[in-house]
Amino acid sequence: MTRHRLATAAVCVALFAVPLAVHDEYYLHLCIVAGIFAIAVLGLDLIVGYVGQLSLAHAAFFAMGAYTSALLFVNFKWSMWLGLPAAAILTGVIAFVLGSVILRTRGHRFIIITVVFAELMKLVATNWVDVTRGFMGLPGLEIPKLYVPGLGAIDIASKAHFYYVVLVVALLAFLLCRLIVRSSIGRKFVLIRENEALAESLGISALRYSMIAFAFGAVLAGAAGSLYAHYVGFVSPDLFNFSYVTIMLIMVILGGKGTLVGPALGAVIFTFLPELLREASHWRMIIFATILIVATLFMPRGIIFPLVEHLLPQRWRTRHASTP
Amino acid sequence: MSPSIAILCQHLLNGVLIGCAYALIAMGLTMIFGVMNIANFAHGEFYMLGGFLAYYLVSLMGLNYFVALPVAVILVVVLAIILQHAIFRRLRDAPMMTTTLVTIGLSIFLEHVALLMWGPQPQSIPTPFPTKPLSFFGVYTTPLYLFCMAVTGALIVVSHILVRRTRMGKAMRATFQNKEASALVGIRIDRIYMYAFAFGAALAAAAGAVLGGFIPVEPTTGSIVTLKAFVVVILGGMGSFVGAIVGGLLLGMAEALGAGYMPTGWKDAIGFFAVILVLLFRPEGLFKRA
Repeated sequence: MTRHRLATAAVCVALFAVPLAVHDEYYLHLCIVAGIFAIAVLGLDLIVGYVGQLSLAHAAFFAMGAYTSALLFVNFKWSMWLGLPAAAILTGVIAFVLGSVILRTRGHRFIIITVVFAELMKLVATNWVDVTRGFMGLPGLEIPKLYVPGLGAIDIASKAHFYYVVLVVALLAFLLCRLIVRSSIGRKFVLIRENEALAESLGISALRYSMIAFAFGAVLAGAAGSLYAHYVGFVSPDLFNFSYVTIMLIMVILGGKGTLVGPALGAVIFTFLPELLREASHWRMIIFATILIVATLFMPRGIIFPLVEHLLPQRWRTRHASTP
Repeated sequence: MSPSIAILCQHLLNGVLIGCAYALIAMGLTMIFGVMNIANFAHGEFYMLGGFLAYYLVSLMGLNYFVALPVAVILVVVLAIILQHAIFRRLRDAPMMTTTLVTIGLSIFLEHVALLMWGPQPQSIPTPFPTKPLSFFGVYTTPLYLFCMAVTGALIVVSHILVRRTRMGKAMRATFQNKEASALVGIRIDRIYMYAFAFGAALAAAAGAVLGGFIPVEPTTGSIVTLKAFVVVILGGMGSFVGAIVGGLLLGMAEALGAGYMPTGWKDAIGFFAVILVLLFRPEGLFKRA
């Protein structure tokens, strides 16, 4: 156990030390994007990995968070400090309303209706030109200054500084998710995934608990989307593209669904990996698709945990690594 | 005929063809769903490949249009059989999340292979028909259009007969209802899987090859078509064959009317709204006897 804590502390120190070691703007950029994806993917893992319902609307929540932040900034000059919570809450509320309708359906119908919802939202972003400016998107978002009592305003627009903002939000998201999945709520998620009939017979409402996972997952996606919008400075309907949800699913599945460390690591790996494949950009999605097919068919636990178990000597294996 | 009625008829006529295409695609999708219990997210890719192969055969290899269409369909069927052997056979008893993720992966795979082979430009299949429009009481149409309508209509009727009247169709419907019992009375489930998948792919490819004459095909077409086919399948009731036909025609007409009378860009939303309403109030589909 102490070794486990030591490892956790070491990882945290390493995460905070990244901007000290990495000075290359490009790699810092990738670290920031990986952090933003990690936040969103943790949310997706709650519904896909823990409750076991495949939601394809997650990237739409991400995009809606980005649009909320952008619209609040463009129209009302709300900075990210207000825009981020607003985006998170709004996407959470939308997911709650949507979930109360569609989580009554299960299985294939649920999957299909989540795609339909995502596509509908894309149509709204594209066609409601008066508000969203359609294909032209909303440009000009800024990263605000951070006011610290005693220190005054700190400029966090540089990549090294913004990295810390993303890191803090990601760690918060991770801790919140950990709190949830370690609580009795998390155990009910898993029971619903493993045996819904049994859960219902014990008086556990599958609808209610799927909804918690779905809505909280959307909150994280909305927060991540808001960070992304302010970081990139531009939102467009392209954010609703199906490729985003695919890449998020790859992060969850290959990282190891039903764990928290796995998908977070998956986000890092699958942000950096595409960049290595930049030379072969035509082949990138083909390789990704192949990875997704092979991994779902043959590696139900993802790649990270089996790999770690394979490489580490017996006594180093933590007991958490193997419990999905 | 008064002009406004002529315009209405024009929209409806446009809708019938799209509706027939939707029906063809959805019939295959609903069959794969019913027999294999797989929501095939790669189904629209068969439509896209049918269109692209027909384009390739006609304009790049100089094949006769009427020969190219069936050849394109046969090529897609061969691909479907290979896919069935390589991938779908393994999915027989897999959980739903696995099957769905695999078909999503396959859809991306096929889309980007098409992108690599034919590029991102939309391509129209050159047809031998004269382009001069024909007029009936103020409603305009073209020979190509009539040909497409005849082909898709005939295919719908033929496949309906295949499923309703032949031993093969009977075996498929039996597998639909109860897999174990069908296997018990000597139906070879593996083979039924294969037929259902190949047949579904063939219908989608045929729709793609035929419609590619005037709706340009591009690699991203597939995912839109998949979505539309799912809309139809949910409207008609998942696994319902007649529902797929009626649902397809209804969606086609509704979209054509929407394109005519609603602001541009919103016609695709009709089907999506309909799906949400149907799932709310009649989750078993509009036509399925509950």
